[in-house]
Amino acid sequence: MSGAFGERRFEVARLRVPEWLLEVRGLGKSYGPHDDAVIASTGPQAGTAKSPLNGSVVAAWDVSFAVAAGEALGIVGESGSGKTTVLRCLAGDTAPTAGQANIRLPDGIVSLFEVAPAERRRLRIDTVSVVYQDPAEGLKLNVTAGGNIAEPLTAAGWRNFGKIRSRAEELLARTEVPLNRMDDLVRSFSGGMKQRVQIAKALANSPSVVLFDEPTTGLDASVAAGVLDLIRSLLEEHRIAAVVVSHDFSVIEMLTQRCLVMQHGRVVESALTDQLLEDPHHPYTQRLVAAARA
Amino acid sequence: MRRDPVLDVRLLGKSFVLHAVSGREVVALRDFTFSLATGEHVALAGMSGAGKSTLLKCIYRTYRPTSGEVWLQIHAGEYVDMCALTDAEVAAIRGHEIGYVSQFLRSEPRRGALDIVMKSALQRGMSEHDAREAARLALTRVGLEPHLWDVYASVLSGGEKQRVNLAAGTVHPPRLLLLDEPLSALDPENRERALELIGSLTRRGVAIVSIFHDLEAIQRLATRVLVVEKGRLVAERDPQDLDERLAAAAR
Repeated sequence: MSGAFGERRFEVARLRVPEWLLEVRGLGKSYGPHDDAVIASTGPQAGTAKSPLNGSVVAAWDVSFAVAAGEALGIVGESGSGKTTVLRCLAGDTAPTAGQANIRLPDGIVSLFEVAPAERRRLRIDTVSVVYQDPAEGLKLNVTAGGNIAEPLTAAGWRNFGKIRSRAEELLARTEVPLNRMDDLVRSFSGGMKQRVQIAKALANSPSVVLFDEPTTGLDASVAAGVLDLIRSLLEEHRIAAVVVSHDFSVIEMLTQRCLVMQHGRVVESALTDQLLEDPHHPYTQRLVAAARA
Repeated sequence: MRRDPVLDVRLLGKSFVLHAVSGREVVALRDFTFSLATGEHVALAGMSGAGKSTLLKCIYRTYRPTSGEVWLQIHAGEYVDMCALTDAEVAAIRGHEIGYVSQFLRSEPRRGALDIVMKSALQRGMSEHDAREAARLALTRVGLEPHLWDVYASVLSGGEKQRVNLAAGTVHPPRLLLLDEPLSALDPENRERALELIGSLTRRGVAIVSIFHDLEAIQRLATRVLVVEKGRLVAERDPQDLDERLAAAAR
């Protein structure tokens, strides 16, 4: 392609953008039977995710995005908008009703929802990690911090006790968990410390995709700030493709470059994060931003 | 022979639809066309609300233009239309090719000045080592005392924040620099330093579009002045011919 300045021609440059590591296409989750009419009876226009036709809840529908290495994509929306559903489908905690999720591995592309269960579990161990809002979901509270981190390592085939221990030490040091707490039960840890252990565990096998579900919600402000700073620096250090689900614009603004807004199970707007904050288009996004800026 | 433009803005338009006031449409920019070459410094003049900042934000694509094209040179003879790029493409090109210095420091929380300026240099393709050196130099150039370099920028004074902004925008300077009142909070000594810095960038060939609220800065730095009124380009002036009324309007 080319253009011109008066008589003079110029070429339209093709930009190189990093390849995606996670690609989601048409992801949907309906609780209860669904057909086209049921789907059409839900969403932002209908003002509800619950179908008036048969009571099915269409928690998420037609969600598509791609995330590249070194990039963090935010998903914002109020509770019930479907953002966590999307994340849980990707994490393998919930079976999606529709759509595809592809992961790029060094030796090719795998389709997350189509691989055999054993392969799926393996991907969840070494390629796709999740940091949950509730540490109890990501950690075994009656196991030590070191034991929790050892779990994904042994699942990935690590057998040497000394090596497992030194990898756990390295991860705890990086996430700023005092090493003298390594052999304490996670149950005895503070909320912020539990979240740091969860992050350490999520990073154990150097995953290429990390999903964060409200990683700082429920923590005291100063503790949340520390955990956010940790996540920010980890994202800068590693070439991870991250998805950050949050209802909090300050979290999204700090961690992500691009963002989706969800309402009643649908993506209503997607943009660069600064565009969303300064030039929101959708009525719902305008309300969210106005509320966050108040 | 006329040089190839670094930036070529064609019929750029921007309206906002405000859903909170029953979908009212506010037109901020209409059919705005201008072109900018290497080493040119175009200052925008006009009343507040005329659309000057909107123009800068549309070029940077913090605002999503409603119509028109923004052609940006990324190599000799090669251009991209900022309005036609995907979000990922804008993200890839932005930090690298365009510097944007706003009146306010919009840095992330809990980050020090050196960190902020270094990150900017890294985005522009410098190595870790070079970026650190360049950041130190940039902060020295804007006169920020070294003991403030590792303090969270959010606790600095307005003038100090503005200097951090200027350092981040001008470190390893990109082809195109957008300045939105970058001197407004500076004391006379630091203002003089900043004026020197911006002038030296023009001499090095950086293309600049700026908004200043005072005549002196415009006359000292700008090579051309575009007068903006109600979102339109209404006149082009020589900076030395700019009258007091226009300068007052720019305030």
